[in-house]
Amino acid sequence: MSELDVVGKSYPQIDGIEKAMGKTKFVTDLVLPGMLYGRTLRSPYPHANIKNIDTSRAERLMGVKAVATYTDTPGIKFGPRSEDWTIFAGDKVRFHGDEVAAVAAIDEDTAEEALEMIEVEYEELPYVIDPLKAMEPGAPLVHDDKPGNIAAEFKVEAGNVDQAIRDSHIVYEDRYYLNQVYQAYMEPMATLADVDLSGRITMWTGTQIPNMMRMTYAKALDVSVDNIRVIVPDYGGAFGAKMENNIHLVTAILAQKAGKPVKLVNTRYDDFIAGNPRVPMYIDIKLGASKKGVLTGKEVKVVGAAGARLVYSMVIVATACYRVDSLYRFQNVRAKGYTVYTNTVPTACFRGFGNSQMTFVLESAIDMIADQLNMDPAELRLINGIGPNETSIHGWEITSSGLKDCVVKATEKADWNKKHREKKPLKGIGLACCNHVSGNRPFAREFDGGAGIVHIGRDGRVTVYHGESDMGQGMKTTFAQIAAERLGVPLDMVHVKDVDTDISPFGLGSFATRGTLMGGNGVLAATKDAFKQLAEIAAGLFEAGSEDIECRRGKFFVSGTPEKSLSFQEVAAEATFARHGAPVVGTGFYEPPTVLPDPETKYGNISPAYPFACQIAEVEVDPRTGHVTVTNFVAAHDVGRAINPMATEGQIRGGITQGLGWTLMENMAYKNGKLINPDFVDYIVPSALDVPDINPILVEPIEPNGPYGAKGIGEPALNPTMAAITNAIYNATGIRVKELPVSPEKIIAELKRRDEQKKNR
Amino acid sequence: MLVPINIYVNGEEYSLEVKPNRVLLDVLREDIGYTGTKKGCGLGKCGACTVLLDGRPVHSCLILAPQVDGKEITTIEGIAGEKPHVLQNAFVEKGAVQCGFCTPGMINTAKALLDTNPDPDEAEIKFAIAGNLCRCTGYNQIVSAIKTCAQSSSAGSTEKRVESNE
Repeated sequence: MSELDVVGKSYPQIDGIEKAMGKTKFVTDLVLPGMLYGRTLRSPYPHANIKNIDTSRAERLMGVKAVATYTDTPGIKFGPRSEDWTIFAGDKVRFHGDEVAAVAAIDEDTAEEALEMIEVEYEELPYVIDPLKAMEPGAPLVHDDKPGNIAAEFKVEAGNVDQAIRDSHIVYEDRYYLNQVYQAYMEPMATLADVDLSGRITMWTGTQIPNMMRMTYAKALDVSVDNIRVIVPDYGGAFGAKMENNIHLVTAILAQKAGKPVKLVNTRYDDFIAGNPRVPMYIDIKLGASKKGVLTGKEVKVVGAAGARLVYSMVIVATACYRVDSLYRFQNVRAKGYTVYTNTVPTACFRGFGNSQMTFVLESAIDMIADQLNMDPAELRLINGIGPNETSIHGWEITSSGLKDCVVKATEKADWNKKHREKKPLKGIGLACCNHVSGNRPFAREFDGGAGIVHIGRDGRVTVYHGESDMGQGMKTTFAQIAAERLGVPLDMVHVKDVDTDISPFGLGSFATRGTLMGGNGVLAATKDAFKQLAEIAAGLFEAGSEDIECRRGKFFVSGTPEKSLSFQEVAAEATFARHGAPVVGTGFYEPPTVLPDPETKYGNISPAYPFACQIAEVEVDPRTGHVTVTNFVAAHDVGRAINPMATEGQIRGGITQGLGWTLMENMAYKNGKLINPDFVDYIVPSALDVPDINPILVEPIEPNGPYGAKGIGEPALNPTMAAITNAIYNATGIRVKELPVSPEKIIAELKRRDEQKKNR
Repeated sequence: MLVPINIYVNGEEYSLEVKPNRVLLDVLREDIGYTGTKKGCGLGKCGACTVLLDGRPVHSCLILAPQVDGKEITTIEGIAGEKPHVLQNAFVEKGAVQCGFCTPGMINTAKALLDTNPDPDEAEIKFAIAGNLCRCTGYNQIVSAIKTCAQSSSAGSTEKRVESNE
């Protein structure tokens, strides 16, 4: 590959200055003429029958234009992966926050006032919050047709686990619990919906999956998919949360009923109690190793709490069950997963998608095994780590792997060898690794690739259309760099459009760390097509063969004679004139070399590329307060080639900070079936004072399936963080953290218990 | 009952009649169109709504509009001149902007810091922005961007000055 002009350079976000100057119009900023404001009435109980709803007083309030309940919806059961949703609760509410009614009014105050006038008669029912309790005989049923509250089961087995465990030198066995946490994107969920005379619905909303969402919503609203248009303006973060949510449909129903555009912005309270937070999980692990530290066999059982309806929890539990199996050279694994209905907010995607939960458990277990074997935990990872050109136990084809490089470079940078050996009281260092995917073949059954459209205007303006979603991570800039590189133009000539399902390719969206690889390859394919068309025009002008045409830094020339050139604009203008105004439009797609895994064995290569990482945390524990401070952080990530190193490092820092929050402070706490900390007063996320210097190291083994060699980074940025920190706590104190978050109370109690044990000896 | 108020936003005077319980944030965003100021929580805990009130950073979601009668308010739209403010450029150049939703409030807080303490150290910067939540960046680059501006504004600095009209 020749020298790159645009790819691999740390350009600021192409729309960054608009954001910094307050000019970007986010979803919550949008206004249409005659627009109404929506608000939602939510269940105050975790589980109750609805005996009656009286909206008449609310409807009479001046300024109220529509009040909607279940009876205003088609009443069809639907869901992205199940059929257990309704747009509003019908006869029963199933969680504190369930949608009961909604109002559209001339302003938010009026809508709020109207909510208070809706009278709902409830009959409270017994509820269940904990998934293990929900599985017990006699537990309250969240859905009457699901005995034991079991929503889904998953199992996978390969090799001979029982034999491998029996033959192991040591076996580690324990139970872990990972709690429910909130994505805490800074812009709350919001939708602006408008319905035209034909009944066609347009939704402006921040969503990671603009196209897939329409399929689900078409069924819910009983319209054809074609009659839903989704436009994705800039929006303030998602981290997995902004996929299907009833709030979009509530807004659409209000707009239908009022006959006017309706904007519904969640209050932060609404967002906490009815967003789609992380799937909490109990995980039992049994892990064996040989005397030399070779991992022999692994058995896990996962019980995940779905909340009151299925969003993606069952796929997340499945991911927790087996994704880590391709991090090391496992030969014998068995996993069983249960996704269990509970009376909480429905849980779903949050950066890591189940792999973060299991990575925490596996990397904690490996740390314990290293300790028992008196081995360096880094060495243990190097012995077992999967390498390039290997195939994992589940048939995952590892085209490139920088895992071992990550371990070597991170340990060097963190001065691991010295620090891990010297035992300083209450100071510790910990290490954890992870793998992930860049796209997940079974997520959407039909296909998994990406596509693009590249439009070249008469004046040479390059416009890229994609079908993924820039939630703030900088995807527009990544795509612009890819298009600019392939066309041979400066970055500022390339513009990237917001997704509009009427115009953009049918992209699957931004999840599974797939945007850069799938979307980027799609944009690259479209750019190649556009370039070919321009090269043919240029070839005519130069009287040369089109295969000899090059473009670099905005100038077309014949290979070998760069001194004789035509500007990109000149060629673009000529192309448009030659076609009587028809613009040059390149289209293209990328088909990844993946397969749907075997339904029984789960065997099959599900992603075209697999990113890896090794993170190292240093901590200090205050014995008086129990407070854990992360003092330093090193993160080596195999990212293929970083299309934009600064943006890639930004993903790493952001992911680690979210992982730090999860480990040390974040917890959705329930009492009497209700979330008791639904705001940033009581739900603490990291501030600038909590975050240490994070030192990213980019390991760049060029990925043959990636655009310019790139893989994804979004989720692996967080996956190993929790275990890196808790392994450091173990190194500092000998306390093995088996339940997140590590609150100061827990540390204090454990330190005290140990002191007393010592005294009693 | 409506309360008449006069406020000065980014140097322009606005005469308005507002409900007594209307917060400054809603006046800025909905009544006079300064949507650069963001609403992240409505409880004064995320900092997205930070504006400058007579030069001091405040949560506009916690301030009643009648309280600011006669006062000067600067929003993110008002801190740039013909070109972006040094902080705005520095945030972009350093990768301190990802989704950008916290950015206006964060920059306003940083400006108030630099106006009172032109050369803050890292601890002072972190302390100053501790009330502004960012969920994307992990703060490192935000601190770094602010530091760049502190250095560039201190006399005799050899650090590269960020382009600005200031």
